[in-house]
Amino acid sequence: MSIIAQYVMNGAMLGMMYALVAVGFTLFFGVLDVIQFAHGDVLAAGAFAALAVWLGLTRLGVASPALLLALVVVAATVATALLGAAVARFLVLPLKGAPQLNVLLVTLMMGTVLRESIRLFYPGGSQPQLFPALLPTSSVALGEFNLRIDNVILLAAGTVLIAGTSLLVTRTRLGLAIRAVAQDEETARTMGVDFRRIVLLTFALGSALAAFAGVMDGLYYNEIFFGMGLLLGVIGFAAAIIGGLGNLYGAILGGFFFAALQTIGAVALPFASAYKDVFAFGVVIALMALRPKGLIGERTSERV
Amino acid sequence: MRKGLLAAAAVLAVSLALREDDFALLLLTRVLIVILACLGLNVQFGYAGVVNFAGATFFGVGGYTAAVLARSTAVPHLFILLIGGAAAALAGTILVVPVLRTRGHYAALVTIAFALLFRTFFEVNDALGGPQGLKLPELRIGPVHFNDAIEIGSFFASFYLKYIVLSLLLAALGFAFVLRLERSFIGVALDCIRLDEIAAASFGVDVARWKIVAFTLGNFLIGLAGALSAFMVGFIAPDNYSFGESLIFVSILLLGGLGNPWGLSLASAVVLLLPEKLQVIAEYRFLLFAAVVILILLFRPAGLLPRPLRRLT
Amino acid sequence: MRIILAALLFSLAAQAKETVRIAFIGPLTGGNSAVGLGGRNSADLAVKLHNAGPGSKYQYELVVLDDECKPDAGVQMATKAGSDRSIVAGVTHYCSVVAMATVDTFHRFGLPTIVWGAVLPDITYGHDFKEIHRVNGTMINQNETNAKFMAAQGYKKFAVIHDTTDYGKGHDKYFTKFITESGGQIVGDFGVTADQQDFTAELTQIKALSPQALYFGGLTPIGVRIRSQMDKLGLNAQFDGTSGIVNDDFIKALGPLAESVLAFREGAPAEKLPGGRKFLEEYGKQGYSNPPEAYGPFAFVAADLLMQTIEKTGPDRRKIIAGLAQVKDFDSIVGKITFDDHGQNTVPVITKYVAQDGKWVLWEESEYARGSRKLRGK
Repeated sequence: MSIIAQYVMNGAMLGMMYALVAVGFTLFFGVLDVIQFAHGDVLAAGAFAALAVWLGLTRLGVASPALLLALVVVAATVATALLGAAVARFLVLPLKGAPQLNVLLVTLMMGTVLRESIRLFYPGGSQPQLFPALLPTSSVALGEFNLRIDNVILLAAGTVLIAGTSLLVTRTRLGLAIRAVAQDEETARTMGVDFRRIVLLTFALGSALAAFAGVMDGLYYNEIFFGMGLLLGVIGFAAAIIGGLGNLYGAILGGFFFAALQTIGAVALPFASAYKDVFAFGVVIALMALRPKGLIGERTSERV
Repeated sequence: MRKGLLAAAAVLAVSLALREDDFALLLLTRVLIVILACLGLNVQFGYAGVVNFAGATFFGVGGYTAAVLARSTAVPHLFILLIGGAAAALAGTILVVPVLRTRGHYAALVTIAFALLFRTFFEVNDALGGPQGLKLPELRIGPVHFNDAIEIGSFFASFYLKYIVLSLLLAALGFAFVLRLERSFIGVALDCIRLDEIAAASFGVDVARWKIVAFTLGNFLIGLAGALSAFMVGFIAPDNYSFGESLIFVSILLLGGLGNPWGLSLASAVVLLLPEKLQVIAEYRFLLFAAVVILILLFRPAGLLPRPLRRLT
Repeated sequence: MRIILAALLFSLAAQAKETVRIAFIGPLTGGNSAVGLGGRNSADLAVKLHNAGPGSKYQYELVVLDDECKPDAGVQMATKAGSDRSIVAGVTHYCSVVAMATVDTFHRFGLPTIVWGAVLPDITYGHDFKEIHRVNGTMINQNETNAKFMAAQGYKKFAVIHDTTDYGKGHDKYFTKFITESGGQIVGDFGVTADQQDFTAELTQIKALSPQALYFGGLTPIGVRIRSQMDKLGLNAQFDGTSGIVNDDFIKALGPLAESVLAFREGAPAEKLPGGRKFLEEYGKQGYSNPPEAYGPFAFVAADLLMQTIEKTGPDRRKIIAGLAQVKDFDSIVGKITFDDHGQNTVPVITKYVAQDGKWVLWEESEYARGSRKLRGK
């Protein structure tokens, strides 16, 4: 029994990270109908920014873990928010009107630029880097189940963050503007919404969430790697699509769904665990055939 | 037509001039093979508007088919090349339903998931050589042994010259076929579908049927190119068919100008030769390459040679 | 005046020397680039030291090519080196799958090469070509030593995690073979992809099997992840690694968690041999941005051996191949080198390492061997 609890806990941590990444994808898609494929690498850049700030602060003699953690999170968030907004400003907005495919490719290439830059220019960036444990690491062992306090804190923080984002989008004026732009850009403009500003803010918001996912990844695995964003990006994208693009709850659902698939693929299936990604992506393909617009579908209708 | 013959003749002349330079000929062969594969992708992306981010996977299906058949059967190699294409087309049928039912980014995800799935499958499956890959025997068509250098009297040429002739022939056939397809009623139907599926359907165009045709034809060409490539390299392994390689195919298509076979040919040459020229900067070259692609797409969003408007005469 | 004249004469003499080009091929981009760049720098250092040293007949130039750890790119680079007649020899490949793919190409062009890092046995033993040599040992030697050592330490129950590349799979195969021969038992064997992030599912299963040791066949990035996630899950088994994790980054990325990790590597420890200390010293002086990593010394030795052979035979491919066939008891910074008729170095010294206080320490000199510290899981 306790071993199942362990699997659920492992899966929940993964699902939370995927969900945070997926929410970004879905926000971007909402306002601009584009996929920002550098998102995963923006996340990696955030994690490395966090690490650099941590190194700097400890060198300056800051020792309090709480203060360090707060500053590290703030730094990573600001860095990725700026980076995300810059991607929108200089790569995505200029291509407005060009085919969707172009945006996809430009952002993919931007992802390569970010990834290679970390590898080449961050000191020692071609090898994994130790990420400090800034949270209490004590744990409670319940049979096979090893419940770690830091994991619980991370899960709780992730939940608060996602709930906050959801409140921001549904309850505030900024959220109203974001939803207005997402629904109909032209009408939103005529109603006095500053379109560019909303787009940039949305990209900053989504990327800041990725920063948190990056720091969470670092704290959870105690290690970050220049290529970490690649797979997280693809999985986050898959999660957003499974859920249904443009839908916040769909993205969250998709994130946890994908984590569940991977965990099931690794433990509950009769074949070797190396096939778990074959299984997870196979289910994704089958799911797309059954529900071509995602679990919580986009509300579009085309009648002939 | 005349342009095409001229281009083919030019390629032949250049390769004859470089006949002793193995490396140059190898690069040229690779360019021709990639052109063939991208022609297939062009039918899917450029004409029918069916996205395919698993180009390298279908390329790999062709390659693996060639490797397995050439190693363990006596099927003549020319047929093996064709079977490689057919196998890729067949593998594509797995995706037909999800690809037909989904649009845009959703369809992109289907093919991306397929690419990642197949990559892992190649690697984990020991029957296909696993991560170590498989070695291919020498390509033989009739009396011609492709891996022997050519020596006739005082005329000496690298064995790659034979591969150039073969890949040029296949690329030219593919090229002619794709141009012909574009000009036929199928091409018109595909254009309609890409531009507005609903309108196309209301005009009586069978959307599902032509999308399947385009997807399958495209995969056939990609698989054919993959089989030829496997013979030329003489060795295949999963690392050759990663998602990154698929992205390179897509970049070629967009850089060249979607829907224009001439554009993708030019882009194939640029994309394959540029990183090679960048060898001097070793570890920095992918960074620079990605930056160059971004700049081209920003300043020439329609690609180097955009597709000309269709003239209905 | 006289000084200027002397300098002029000297530079003329230097110019008069024939320039000989040798190729270095390894992964300079992508996931394995750290080792590739370390190898590149080490080979570069060998060339620089030779050129600066007195009495060499030729001026050497290193042509650096990137194989991206991909077979088709590898074959392309091998063709480039092979077809360029001004290149007379090569220091080639870290990735086994690429080394396998290029064997035929080097044979076709008759280019003598020395493999500096790839460990798959078939690279030298899968054919009879005279061109291919290898200074490092194969994974067979490494795992035989590893298995015997673990059995002697009293470990009986093992779990295995290996990546599904040729490197990980090969290690899995040979370790399983040797440990079962030594009376050990594999209770669980898990293949994982080389870019996997999360291993909690596999490790939770392993924990339920309660092995005494976890054998890991793979490279640093996922090795780091597995070790740190073992800790998260409270899995207290001894971590038994391969040559792929013997580098500073593994320890740096793990911090105190690296303590007591075991690993095995071919070759004598560079820092213990006089030449090796000089190598590390000179490497430090050059100010390269990457450390030499585990296989840097082998790349250095391969380049050095080539140049010393060329000094004797002259820059002619066939003569170099003949020269390399004669290599016997060649003193190098990784121990003595003797090639058998497959070009394989037959004096494979395997060094045992254990991580202690943030450093890789030779097993024999560690506090673990003396008994003042204890390995895990016993």
